[in-house]
Amino acid sequence: MEMDFTRPEYYRNREDSWISFNERVLEEARDKNTPLFERLKFLSITSSNFDEFFMIRVASLKDMVHVGYTKKDIAGLTAQEQIAQILKRVQEVVSLQYSTYNRSILPALKQQGLEVVTRHEDLTEEQAVYADRYFEENVYPVLTPMAMDSSRPFPLIRNKTLNIGALIQKKGEGKKETTEFATVQVPSVLPRIIELPCGEGRAVILLEEIIERNIGKLFLNYKVACAHPYRIMRNADLTIDEDEAADLLKEIQKQLKKRQWGEVIRLEVEEGMDKQLLKILKKEFNIRGDDIFHINGPLDLTFLMKMYGMDGFDKLKIKPYTPQPVPALMEREDIFEAIREHDILLHHPYMTFDPVVNFVKQAAKDPEVLAIKQTLYRVSGNSPIIAALAQAAENGKQVSVLVELKARFDEENNIVWAKMLEKAGCHVIYGLVGLKTHSKITLVVRKEEDGIRRYVHLGTGNYNDSTAKLYTDCGLLTCAESIGEDATAVFNMLSGYSEPKHWNKLALAPIWLRDRFYELIERETQHALSGEPAHIIAKMNSLCDKEIIAKLYEASAAGVQIDLIIRGICCLKTGIPGVSEHITVRSIVGNFLEHARIFYFHNNGQPEVYMGSADWMPRNLDKRVEILFPLENDRIKEEACHILQIQMEDNVKARILQPDGSYEKIDKRGKVLVCAQDYFCKEAMERVKKPKDPVRDRVFVPAEPASEE
Amino acid sequence: MAVKMFAAIDVGSYEVGMKVFEFSPRREMKQIDSVCCRMELGKDTYNTGRISVKKIEELCQILNDFVRIMNSYKVSAYRACATSSVREARNHLLILEQVKRVTGLNLEILDNSEQRFLDYKSIAFGEKNFYKIIQSGTAIVDVGSGSIQISLFDNDKLVTTQNIRMGNMRIREKMADLVRHTLHMEEMAEELINNELASFKKMYLKDRQIKNLIVAGDYILELLKKPMVATDEFRATYDRIIDMRPEEIAREYGIPSESASLILPSMTIYKRLIEEMGAEQIWMPGLSLSDGIAYDYAQKNKLIYAEHNFEDDIVAAARIIAKRYQSNKSHIRNLESLALAIFDKIKKISGLDARQRLLLQIAVILHGCGKYINLSDGAECSYSIIMATEIIGLSNRERRVIANVVKYNTFEISYAEIMNQPGITEKDYLLIMKLTAILRVANALDRSHKQKFSNVRITVKDAELQIHVDTQQDITLEKGLFPPKADYFEEVFHIRPVIRQKKTL
Repeated sequence: MEMDFTRPEYYRNREDSWISFNERVLEEARDKNTPLFERLKFLSITSSNFDEFFMIRVASLKDMVHVGYTKKDIAGLTAQEQIAQILKRVQEVVSLQYSTYNRSILPALKQQGLEVVTRHEDLTEEQAVYADRYFEENVYPVLTPMAMDSSRPFPLIRNKTLNIGALIQKKGEGKKETTEFATVQVPSVLPRIIELPCGEGRAVILLEEIIERNIGKLFLNYKVACAHPYRIMRNADLTIDEDEAADLLKEIQKQLKKRQWGEVIRLEVEEGMDKQLLKILKKEFNIRGDDIFHINGPLDLTFLMKMYGMDGFDKLKIKPYTPQPVPALMEREDIFEAIREHDILLHHPYMTFDPVVNFVKQAAKDPEVLAIKQTLYRVSGNSPIIAALAQAAENGKQVSVLVELKARFDEENNIVWAKMLEKAGCHVIYGLVGLKTHSKITLVVRKEEDGIRRYVHLGTGNYNDSTAKLYTDCGLLTCAESIGEDATAVFNMLSGYSEPKHWNKLALAPIWLRDRFYELIERETQHALSGEPAHIIAKMNSLCDKEIIAKLYEASAAGVQIDLIIRGICCLKTGIPGVSEHITVRSIVGNFLEHARIFYFHNNGQPEVYMGSADWMPRNLDKRVEILFPLENDRIKEEACHILQIQMEDNVKARILQPDGSYEKIDKRGKVLVCAQDYFCKEAMERVKKPKDPVRDRVFVPAEPASEE
Repeated sequence: MAVKMFAAIDVGSYEVGMKVFEFSPRREMKQIDSVCCRMELGKDTYNTGRISVKKIEELCQILNDFVRIMNSYKVSAYRACATSSVREARNHLLILEQVKRVTGLNLEILDNSEQRFLDYKSIAFGEKNFYKIIQSGTAIVDVGSGSIQISLFDNDKLVTTQNIRMGNMRIREKMADLVRHTLHMEEMAEELINNELASFKKMYLKDRQIKNLIVAGDYILELLKKPMVATDEFRATYDRIIDMRPEEIAREYGIPSESASLILPSMTIYKRLIEEMGAEQIWMPGLSLSDGIAYDYAQKNKLIYAEHNFEDDIVAAARIIAKRYQSNKSHIRNLESLALAIFDKIKKISGLDARQRLLLQIAVILHGCGKYINLSDGAECSYSIIMATEIIGLSNRERRVIANVVKYNTFEISYAEIMNQPGITEKDYLLIMKLTAILRVANALDRSHKQKFSNVRITVKDAELQIHVDTQQDITLEKGLFPPKADYFEEVFHIRPVIRQKKTL
């Protein structure tokens, strides 16, 4: 009998799975083994995560409800059902967030000598004087209080800003008291955290408390009856998630008016807000029920990231890790020569990102280099790669850069440096219509004695030297002819030329990649069916593609052992009898953001290992240009397997997905503790030490004279 | 030898493409880059007779980008060729001019015979089994957008090559108007082809055994997925796709969907040919004109070595024409050896090159073909036959030179008449004079068509070209008719041919 692996009950709602991911991040913030200031960071991340989640996902779902979009999700839920389920869970997680903040973080901070004054009423006299003076000198000049009355409508409250709402009454006159609504934005140009003078230890207060304390000064002829912070999230432009985009946009175009631009989709208010004040907000923002969050603590916890940055608390933070040199490139002047010797695998941030930057920098200066081609998705503000590309163009190299303008939240930034590259003489391509170019590939064409040789860097992460210190990613440097040819074809395709007649090694989305993954999974299924050992290990950020999951279920049912290492969303359910009994899912949430995509297929003893830029998500497989590349060199294949192996052994930061959908840490009793991220850090340091040469600092000599910068 | 980079640009009827090749002593010839852009120039030409300004602009934009790519590889030489879509456009000169102005590229228009010869070269170089294949009866079928070229090989030799003006885009465009009236496009396509094929079969195929069909079209390789299939495999694929819509074919076989619409007519052409010829195996080397351009460049610059002598093919094609018009074979042989011997002796004086030697040889081979039509007006008829018969590997200009040489072998040379012909330059005029002078002298030596001058030695001494002949036969006739030819020869080359008879015995 043919099994139907696509039944909705075999799948988990993607938002639900995402909330679980944010819970795992929150768990890190709650974990007493995590250094205190790192906990602040994790807590801050959960907060910014939720913001993005509402802006993108919840907004999309709301749109669907408005336009009457009835398509059900992977787990068989309508948009309305999803929203209800999401809000219920987010409410729970948010209250856990704040109990963590209030009951665990604040006392711990105090114990470490940092007092967060949560109510301005608790300020000491000296502090109060300081705060008031700070208000007068710094805050007052930038405040714009706005009131609403019969002649003035409700003011425009901007998305994601923190505001203080107040009820005010005219002083004197003594006639019947009319209460008016007034609001003032907590200025985002000022620091949210203000350090206060303190006898011993240190103390800080939040800006909104100082404003609240002085709010009377804003409404001089009025009496302030109450004042409370609130914050809204709007369904704004540009936030439709591309996973539904095509369908949804069609629907929206059909019923243009039904989309409620700027609609408020979340209201956060201070717990215990005055009822009358809340009523006004609810009415004006047209919001109710679970869309309103009553927050027991400061709104918008992202200020904790700023607190993390306070100096003087280094012992409460993880010592910053210095990415180590790449052994194969140590004491090498010429990166091209090193690549000619053999392929080089890079594992960031354990290994430094410098080789990738140097790859471009050297190419820019090398007289033999004819051309440099690169895809850029998200780059850091002051990117050395961009500088090197511009330099290369000025040196007369042919430089082609594909700039993806559609990178979420980054459009403006991208346009600025794209223009800069054009000015420098680079040939800038703006990607393909309707497809985001998410692949990360760099091609350097060099004219050598015996002809043209192509050097290629392929990566799993963006060409961003800042995030490369925080994201775990892999990269391959190679000059294999077959990959070089494919790389040339990739750029030709991205420039609008016809696709090549065949690919040697690379598999590209949106046309070939999905089928390639099917083939690879099905091959394991076939091996399992014919009684051969079959094994898949796949590491990625998210898994929510229905067809791929169905293939995995089919493989599992055939007896393929499938081990998935998925940091974030996972719509696959484990432990369904006859469907997914042979599948394990683990999630590693650690100090670094797990970001690499690695795929291992046992292939009956002839293992194949691939890396790439794509997750198993519909958007990656169908709507983006992505590249999957094989690792062919045995040594490098082993290295990649080793990475997977250590992650599989992690019992400190790894959590296993349970059949009930929860993630649980591994029972460590009697086991040697393995924390994959720590392990790789140590290993990278060990590897660098290995050469007997004690003059290690030679490694750190910058690869070029300072004048070139 | 340093590494050389060469770019071959092909401005075709439905695609504009460029391939960049590298020639290095170690690795021979290697394709480095290949870009290709969909652009249906042929659609304009075949429908309106000209290419629109908008399309030309578009073409220039693409070519400019090609120039950028060429520069990025520091390409040292290139050849940019356009084929029928530009050739047949009434505004072709303006197109070349515009391309030159905007991109700096010298775009040249290939004659059909040149183009097919390059296609053929690409196959001969690119298909590793080529020499094995052509040992037995083989047809190369090159389906272009505007016409089909069929070349027959047997025993390693080119037997004939014919052009049928019925290409895939022509068929598609013809059918486009009719598509509303029928569901069975393929039957109509077959009917369109059948008539043309019937005459080809009667004239050239006769009862020849054609075992192999080499197919030089685009995307056929993608359809059949391997470079060689047996007839029934081809048939199976044909039956499967013939009812599919182009979009379906595109999706299933990973072919650009615009190209898929041209595949159906091509497949029908192949199918009909396979049936007519009874071919057993179909080969698809998957090569293109750009490859041919590159091989041609490499061969001419001695960057690669060709096992096959392509000039032999041109000569063979000429011989087949001569045979068809029942020329005197032994006379031709004798004349060839005389004319080429003279050519070789005076090479330094004449300043002629190897290619021109080939033209002379072909002129000799074809000089008498007109007699088949009219004995008294042989030269004029020869001229007409040559002008009407495509010879693979020769450009139209070269063919015109040959036709003139043949004509003025007997006629008085007329500057005005020659220069009036299209495409003839003064340089060509000089060439015609020189080749005619040689042909006349050689021809005079075998006036009787009896090959009296078979044992000849030629020397240059002072201002004389001495033709030493070792014969017992009476050569009074030849000697008597010789002086006017010698006069003319002397006028052209400033050296006088004289006959020295040595009577042994």
